[in-house]
Amino acid sequence: MNFSELFSVAQLANALALASLLTILASGLALIFGLRDVMNFGHGALYMLGAYLGYSVGNQFSFWAALVIVPLLLAVLGVGFELAVLRPLQKRSHMDVALVTFGIALIIGPVVHKIWGTAPLSVEPPAALAGSIDFFGTMYPTYRLFLIAVGFGTCLALAAWLKFTRVGMHTRAVSQQPHVARMMGVNTDRLSLLVVCMGTGFAGLAGVLAGPYLSVDPGMGATILISCLIIVVIGGLGSIGGAIAAAVVYGFIQVIGTVLFPSLAVLAPYLLLFFVLLWRPQGFGRGRVS
Amino acid sequence: MSATPATLGATAAPAPAGSPRRALWQRPILLAGLLAAAAGFFVPGLIDTPYTLSLLINGVVLGIAAVGIGFLMHQCGFVMFGVAAFIGLPAYLVGIGSAQLGLGLTSAVVFALVGSTAFAALVGALVVRARPLPFAMLTLALAQMLKQVSMLQVMRPITGGDDGLTMSFDGTFLGLTQSALGKAPSFWPLAWAALCLVILIAWVAAHSRFGQVLRATQANEERMRFSGFDTYWPRLAAFTLSSFLVSVSGVLIALNSAYASPELLDFATGGHALTAMIVGGGATALGPLLGAMLYTWGQSAFGATGYLELLTGIAVVVMISAFPKGAMGFVLQIGHRLTGRKGP
Repeated sequence: MNFSELFSVAQLANALALASLLTILASGLALIFGLRDVMNFGHGALYMLGAYLGYSVGNQFSFWAALVIVPLLLAVLGVGFELAVLRPLQKRSHMDVALVTFGIALIIGPVVHKIWGTAPLSVEPPAALAGSIDFFGTMYPTYRLFLIAVGFGTCLALAAWLKFTRVGMHTRAVSQQPHVARMMGVNTDRLSLLVVCMGTGFAGLAGVLAGPYLSVDPGMGATILISCLIIVVIGGLGSIGGAIAAAVVYGFIQVIGTVLFPSLAVLAPYLLLFFVLLWRPQGFGRGRVS
Repeated sequence: MSATPATLGATAAPAPAGSPRRALWQRPILLAGLLAAAAGFFVPGLIDTPYTLSLLINGVVLGIAAVGIGFLMHQCGFVMFGVAAFIGLPAYLVGIGSAQLGLGLTSAVVFALVGSTAFAALVGALVVRARPLPFAMLTLALAQMLKQVSMLQVMRPITGGDDGLTMSFDGTFLGLTQSALGKAPSFWPLAWAALCLVILIAWVAAHSRFGQVLRATQANEERMRFSGFDTYWPRLAAFTLSSFLVSVSGVLIALNSAYASPELLDFATGGHALTAMIVGGGATALGPLLGAMLYTWGQSAFGATGYLELLTGIAVVVMISAFPKGAMGFVLQIGHRLTGRKGP
């Protein structure tokens, strides 16, 4: 095994590309979990819906329009999700609500199949991002670099929002100590409306970004959902910084594992989860332990 | 170190108000249960369409798994997302035992149950230390991991890879040959007996001191430790017992279909049992069974329309939103209202 090949620029970038997609999804999942205490099993389905909407809007207008419109559409869906599902069920157990979101995922799947069919669809990157460019001496697909930039850019923006704005501070407070935050006068209902919209909007963004990188197919939501759940748990429940760190680690382990032990790489995420949770039950971040 | 029932009374099973606490074997519910169990063996005589009977068998098999996870959820507050691990593993073990190890069918079944339960004890030793949500994720990861292992290229000679494992059984199990096990009318008594046994085990465990300790630990673990109770071993025992009950369902699937595939280890398989358990209500031993019957019936009715997933999704959302305590909770509530007795 040649180590220079293992840690080449291309491998590094591959890991980051996967990680950036996972980060966007996992931070949305972590946001919703932080505010509403709900493991949203519908997140994968929302991501898939985002990808299909991105495909259609992209064909109709352009990829750039899809990048703006689809997250907004998904955010509107998030309003419905918060008002019709999460808010009425907030007194119910985690498991009940998690299964309701699972049921919603079951509903979204066939609706998408009905509209777009079940055959995988391919999305071309926009002309400006097609082809490869010279990246530190390696020819690398431009779109993946764009994906990395947008992914981590979004996460940085989110982190800054959480760190430096008042609403962001409230969000962090509710994620860590819901009762105390409520006692201190944070309106959790209003806040969670905003945050759930952001979470679903992020799922839409990830879907649009995934289109040209992976293909758009009906199974894409289920595949990525488990990865995202693992990332959120490894990152520490309710901790968004932890989720970002966990997504990067996950991306690296996945890509490097594929190079080193191709046959065992599929097991890597689960082993990662086992080791992290047994070593540090609260995960990477400073989220609460629940 | 014997805690009096009074200190644990708040979380203990609701004994009928006013009546003195009777020994388990004296309760009238047990007699009713025994009668129902005996009556169940005559079901194939009442149902003449093979399809309905095989549907009922599916419901019973799913019900066994649901009872297993319902026990763990109600007693420990742990939800096993990865139920599929303990459905798929014993199913594979039956096949591996009879094909690779050359065991007779009865030995293969024993091998599968013992193997799966021992594996559960090993895994449980690690995972029952976790909090409920990480626990759920860990078991889910476990199931996914087993699924990936079963599909690995190196495992192909043993598990059959993506194609699954077709089994041919040697000898008989309780007098049933492979062809008898594959036919619904002759398979029914075995499935029904297994179900009755599983429900009895879950019910007795829940009503024993063991169940009380578990529920008290769930309510306030720190206080239980202060009071001198060990909180680790009972949980491990509960996890192992629950996995054993679920394994029974996996073994039945293997016996009935003589086939195991990676799909058995998939999240979706666990999803069926989990949904059935929640829809039925995990608070009683019979709730998950009711849920499983409703679920199997729903799958068959929805499947006929061609919109299986869509209708299942809608039904799950509606059932869980409308019945916080599950279908069984709803039935009990109606029952209590009719008899004028205040419900628990």
